[in-house]
Amino acid sequence: MDDHLKKLENDSIYIFRQAFRSIKNVAMLWSLGKDSNVMVWIALKAFLGKIPFPLVHVDTGKKFKEMYEFREKYEKKWNINLIKRKCPPISSIDPSLPPAARSAARKTEGLKAVIRENNFKGVIAGIRRDEQGTRAKERIFSPRDEFGKWEPKNQPPEFWDQSNFNYPDSVHLRIHPLLSWTEIDIWKYIKEQKIPIVDLYFSKNGKRYRSLGDKDITFPVVSSAKNHDQIIRELQNTKVSERSGRAMDHEQEDVFEKLRTSGYM
Amino acid sequence: MTLEDVEHIPKVVVVGHIDHGKSSFIGRLMYDLDQIPDGKFEELKEVSKKRGMDFEFAFLMDALQSERDQGITIDTTQIFFRTKKRKYVFIDAPGHKEFVRNMITGASSADIAMLIVDVCEGVKEQTKKHSYLLKLLGIDNVIILYNKMDKIKNDEKRYLSVKNEMEEYLRNIGIKISNQIPISAKCGDNIVKKSSNIKWYEEKVVSEVLDEFDVDSKNVLGPLRLPVQDIYKIKDKRIIVGRIESGKVSIDDELLFLPSNETVRIDSFEEWPEPKNDYFAGESIAFTMKEQIFVDRGNLVSHSETPPKLMQTFEANIFWLTHKKLNLKGKYLLKINTGEYSVSIKNIKKIINTDNLESKSSSGIIRKNDVAEIVLHSSQLIPMDDFRDNKKTGRFCLLDEEEIIAGGIVDLSNYPDQRESSVQPNIKPVELAVKEIDRSNKFNHRSAIIWLTGLSGSGKSTIAKEVERKLFLRDFNVFVLDGDNLRMGLNKGLKFSTDDRTENIRRTAEVAKLFSQAGFIVIVSLISPYKSERKKARDIRPEIFKEIYVSASLEECSKRDVKGLYAKANKGEIKNFTGISSPYEEPDNPDLILNTEDESVEKSVKKLENFIVENFSNLKKS
Repeated sequence: MDDHLKKLENDSIYIFRQAFRSIKNVAMLWSLGKDSNVMVWIALKAFLGKIPFPLVHVDTGKKFKEMYEFREKYEKKWNINLIKRKCPPISSIDPSLPPAARSAARKTEGLKAVIRENNFKGVIAGIRRDEQGTRAKERIFSPRDEFGKWEPKNQPPEFWDQSNFNYPDSVHLRIHPLLSWTEIDIWKYIKEQKIPIVDLYFSKNGKRYRSLGDKDITFPVVSSAKNHDQIIRELQNTKVSERSGRAMDHEQEDVFEKLRTSGYM
Repeated sequence: MTLEDVEHIPKVVVVGHIDHGKSSFIGRLMYDLDQIPDGKFEELKEVSKKRGMDFEFAFLMDALQSERDQGITIDTTQIFFRTKKRKYVFIDAPGHKEFVRNMITGASSADIAMLIVDVCEGVKEQTKKHSYLLKLLGIDNVIILYNKMDKIKNDEKRYLSVKNEMEEYLRNIGIKISNQIPISAKCGDNIVKKSSNIKWYEEKVVSEVLDEFDVDSKNVLGPLRLPVQDIYKIKDKRIIVGRIESGKVSIDDELLFLPSNETVRIDSFEEWPEPKNDYFAGESIAFTMKEQIFVDRGNLVSHSETPPKLMQTFEANIFWLTHKKLNLKGKYLLKINTGEYSVSIKNIKKIINTDNLESKSSSGIIRKNDVAEIVLHSSQLIPMDDFRDNKKTGRFCLLDEEEIIAGGIVDLSNYPDQRESSVQPNIKPVELAVKEIDRSNKFNHRSAIIWLTGLSGSGKSTIAKEVERKLFLRDFNVFVLDGDNLRMGLNKGLKFSTDDRTENIRRTAEVAKLFSQAGFIVIVSLISPYKSERKKARDIRPEIFKEIYVSASLEECSKRDVKGLYAKANKGEIKNFTGISSPYEEPDNPDLILNTEDESVEKSVKKLENFIVENFSNLKKS
């Protein structure tokens, strides 16, 4: 493994262990996407083969069939304690949001519900800084208030691998072990470690998915990349952003920040 | 081969005064390196137009709505980019003085620092503050960018005068300058392309300077420092995990654990799927030991020949991040690597005015964003290094109950290693045949000293007895030392004068220590009214001592007056009665408070029982 990937892997392991040690009741989100699988893989390393906390799949019911199949297979193979939580219906979501964002917000509500029901004090999520501008401003250990709200303007200091873990009971932390990874890092690591992923990422009929969300608001990009190497090469030359196929990001200038401040990943 | 030196992606931070053009510079650099995603340029054009501005490169970094609306950077952000030579991560840190904590968050992980100065405005307050903070963050080599050259019509004289001022300041605080470049973020002068406007400047442009910058990676070479992050029990194995901060560790190594001062050999490395035989700085590792010794989270592992220092009192340079005042009487939580210690601040040596580097007027009050030299004290020995010897193990942060309030770097030049200072000459303790760890493994809990302090009648003995009973039923080895009972035997003859009370507490603490060495959880129920005496008791075995404040008001205790003592004391029949004719000093920062006035005995008992199990049972986590 190249040394850059090795450093990323080791630091992510450190974050996992720190989260497990410092937070009472932790869970990890498993969206079935590539980043999520990298997280599972690193957690297996951090805890030497068995993840000691539950994984959560917040299910919109609108994922691709391949993703559900993948879930059933690897839940067993990786010996995962999986909580499957259905999202509330669209009718219960803020109608002032643009349509795709409104659809994505179902996931926020499903997530908040699962946190409430299980009294999770920490939720591990696979977001990365290079995905999106407001995610770039995230902390590794990022507090959310009782309504799941993120306060980007008033974030706690975090330096020298030190964070605060002493919060009121109503607060939960989002933990972001992949924050420093880039999309190319993820692909190189998947290739190097032979981490299984859903086939939809590879080109079929001249198109492939770069990022996987709900069926109805995620679109494939034009690509002929049929394997890991071709994808890495494609990414080295592209200037198209990763989330360009995610409709919710592009409806309004500030829509992603709005979604995130109210609790989206 | 080491982890750091091949393909390392340097992190670059840009700091400086507000509005000197940090975000604009980064945006421009990205643009000139052709690193802006398709569509992003158009999107930002649109965003700029909407706010009635010319095209603003800064919006690339300033993604938050409020940042765009106010035109300032609020939080730190990171952006990846690449030159022909290598990849980088850019960290943009806010220059506004309200957001120093965000600047620290951003800059603390940087390999390369760029200081940006607006040549029009010259060297400002935050330019100096940021320079000083870089020094505290361990960055001692910077690149200076003199921005907005277009605004002064590329005047060399004006440039030289600002440059002189910067050079003098950085020389005084001991930061080296690697390069100085006159630029214009707006026009793209000397960023990636050599400027035809600034004709007198003939040296390298920013991207070239970055590509040639040597990123330091000497941590791999130094002595081994491995802070214990956690201990896992997987199947029958007890596995220690942690990240190597410097040096290397191999399968046959003998390791020294501090502060417990025990040495032990590695038995095996554990890794999923396959372990190796050697591990280097930067790696998160897991291992088992040949012998079972006490290992705690926060212990620092080294080789015996090259140990870190063990300190109780030490000096540090700190930056203060909160508007809360530093409290010289208060206790703070010090986090250093994976260790956590309760500390107090002994004195403030100097508060530094970063404008002129002089000591701030004698007010002695540390304010938000101040930097200062202070002396810290802990009742426990803390393993650490001087920051100049090892950056990773020579820095810490301080927290109060709510948040991180300060960060600091350790300076041990005025304080010797305190490893030996507490040992008496000529008395050598006899080594015990059955070790405490063996007892602990057998009993499935660690030994502990649970010290209940509070007024007479507050409920100490009631709670102690009940918790003893409950824990006993749960197979704990537990014993109550009650102040009244002790006075009938061991402490017979001691009265209630200050001296006698002190002796009473000392003896009780020593007995508690013996019980703890025998593997017991000993619950001490003793008024112990003086802070200083309780502290002495704690210092006998600080690592297992817990101070529990059984709290009830004097009115409530006199009302209860179970033993009829308050009535007598009020009549003057008992002298030196705590609360009436003798003082009770409340604990500042007890490990647990049991308020027996507001909550039931059952609740207090449950709380204390849980507290003990949580802290001392071996069966808590598997």
